[in-house]
Amino acid sequence: MKKILALVLCLALVAALFVGCSDNKPETGKNTEAGNKAATTIKVGLICIGDENDQGYTYNFIRGKDAATEALKAKGINVEWVVKWNIPEGDACEDANRELAAAGCKVIFNNSFGFEDYMLKVAPDYPNIQFVSCTNQASWGDSLKNTHNAFANIYEGRYLAGVVAGMKLQQLINDGTITAEQAVIGYVGAFPFAEVKSGYTAYFLGARSVCPSVTMKVQFVNNWSDATAESNAASALCDAGCKLISQHADNSTPATMAQSKGAFFTSYNNDMISVAPEACLVGTRIDWSVYFTEAIEAVANGKEFPQDWSKGLKDGAVVLTALNDKLVAPGTKEKLAEVEAGLKDGSIQVFDTKTFTVGGKELTQAFALDTDGDFVPDKEEAVFDGAFHESYFQSAPYFAIDIDGITTLN
Amino acid sequence: MDEKLKSPLIRLEKRNKSTIKPVYAWLIRLGSILFALLLGCIAIALAGSNPIKAYGTMLDGALGNAAFRQQTVKKAVPLLGCALAIAPCFKMRFWNIGAEGQITAGALAATFMVRLLATKPEGNSASLPLLLCMALAAMLLGGLWALIPAFFKAKWNTNETLFTLMMNYIIIGVVAWLQAGPWEARQGRIAQFPQSAWLPKVEGVHCGWIIVLVLVFIIHIYMRHTKQGYEIAVIGDSLRTAQYAGMNVGRIMMRTMFLSGAISGLVGFILCSGATNTLSKDIAGGVGFTSITVAWLSQLNAFAMVAISLMLGILTKGADTLQTVMNVPAAISDIIIGLLLFCMLGCEFFINYRLILRKKAGKGGAAA
Repeated sequence: MKKILALVLCLALVAALFVGCSDNKPETGKNTEAGNKAATTIKVGLICIGDENDQGYTYNFIRGKDAATEALKAKGINVEWVVKWNIPEGDACEDANRELAAAGCKVIFNNSFGFEDYMLKVAPDYPNIQFVSCTNQASWGDSLKNTHNAFANIYEGRYLAGVVAGMKLQQLINDGTITAEQAVIGYVGAFPFAEVKSGYTAYFLGARSVCPSVTMKVQFVNNWSDATAESNAASALCDAGCKLISQHADNSTPATMAQSKGAFFTSYNNDMISVAPEACLVGTRIDWSVYFTEAIEAVANGKEFPQDWSKGLKDGAVVLTALNDKLVAPGTKEKLAEVEAGLKDGSIQVFDTKTFTVGGKELTQAFALDTDGDFVPDKEEAVFDGAFHESYFQSAPYFAIDIDGITTLN
Repeated sequence: MDEKLKSPLIRLEKRNKSTIKPVYAWLIRLGSILFALLLGCIAIALAGSNPIKAYGTMLDGALGNAAFRQQTVKKAVPLLGCALAIAPCFKMRFWNIGAEGQITAGALAATFMVRLLATKPEGNSASLPLLLCMALAAMLLGGLWALIPAFFKAKWNTNETLFTLMMNYIIIGVVAWLQAGPWEARQGRIAQFPQSAWLPKVEGVHCGWIIVLVLVFIIHIYMRHTKQGYEIAVIGDSLRTAQYAGMNVGRIMMRTMFLSGAISGLVGFILCSGATNTLSKDIAGGVGFTSITVAWLSQLNAFAMVAISLMLGILTKGADTLQTVMNVPAAISDIIIGLLLFCMLGCEFFINYRLILRKKAGKGGAAA
């Protein structure tokens, strides 16, 4: 017994030493790289709900982080990232914020909506550290000066993706593949909240601007990230007659399901053409590097940056991923360029009140902000100049109106 | 010759308790940890990192400074509390794997009390009456939740393993419903508690750590030095003996399960009041299952549980740091923890049995 144990232990030790040594080389090489000329170095924290394996939400943040690092390097700012992966929306997030603050991070980004409550427990203890909760909305109302929110006008990107989808459906109608009534879009939504509603409404309006007969069905999965439920929802939507699927959730499973059911697809967060080459037309995503660069540069130079930040297409904070030239309708590229220019110069409004009705009537009044905490907006009129102004009074979306033409299935 | 052909290369022999010295048993346990760490090296190396540096990072990440140590303790507290809760059941050979649900039930009751009693959100300091109400409600509901399977076991001899397991999913489902329905504040979550319902912090960690340390002594005394503890031990060793001695086995089972559930419920209170400051369906977060390992590794010894739960706390916190500092995939950390638990539980086999190699012709003696 003793002999066997000793033998096994020895063998394992030798094996471990062997693999351990062979691994030493790349480790040492990394340190010399940082020896840049007299540049400012800033420590930045990032707390993520997932890791790059989701190939969607968190992966998109990682791309933003890497691009921002490059952009800042060009400006003479070296960023030393400390990243916490796979943090659940609970007290682990509070610990993560404390740990990063103690580690000397000057600004800490929290990437998930549910992190804000926990971030706010830490922020008062570190007034000199900037805390950012991406996609959430407490900062304009809390009394703290070092808390921030950020979002991008993703509804603009969704509107554009909707145009691509609408052109495809119109092409199918013109070909006689489907009738005008059969032009139905299926949408896999995470939760029936403003962020999701604003997104699918923008998408639908984009599609309808080029395909007047289109309608939409929405299936909620009540989860931001549940690969199986998202796939099932996409399947149910295809079975209900949807010819094209889009999504607002974190996984790529709706893309593969749409492809297997012979439907088309447009993605969110990531280019999913590689996942579903026969279905995916285009995708839209937030380019977080724009915000990261702005915020980190401000902190590095000791300047302030907005507590509630939102930028869109015009500033490159929202982008379309590559068009799948094999699948999209002819003329899509030209149409996109035209709409994009319109959105940038303001001649096209996504939520133009002339383009949709609520209960058969034009929308004339809607509040943007909730100030008394009952989760019903009660302040700031969002409808003016002939459009609902989304992400205007706060970065987080607040368009939560059910418009005609969209049916929710659950 | 015939006999030799029939005998296998390695055979197992059950050890008498007397044949293995305690020192030797602990050496085997220590060896299993070392062995697991060596296996872990392979996993880390495959992921492209230096194993020795990785273990250093893990230790440093768990104990390197006060903030890290606080987090480590915070992770160990519910494990210890819950291991203490299930120890009496396991001693009785009543397989309560429903601690996860009993924790959730406790947290649910505590949250109910917050919603009922904490009307003013302005209170900036902890309110002792409120915390006591929360703790009592948590213990009551946790205990009742555990009592149900015990009652069925006592009356109709149902299978307690399946029953307690299923009870987990029911209560977690109830919380999921509350969270997205009647108690929802915004976007599928329950509002944060007012500060009057937060467990105060002592040495940077919520004072749940003091509660569970006190529990260690209470459970130790209860199990070793009370009549009830003795009854539990007798039932565990031999049900028939207990019946023959005139013990009311069903009653003892129900009493013990209520106690176990009440302590689990208290852990639920500690978690929602001290750690998350709110209720969610993931509040137990697997503690109810991991603590089974803690209880088992500690041989149901209350003091050993302190060490084992701290060790697990160090491991999970260390593994967490490993991801951050060395960019090791999360799965690798899980593999290391899995290997350690597997080897530590598996080594009990070598303590209970010994391997005997087939004797060579002419030579005698077994390798062990």
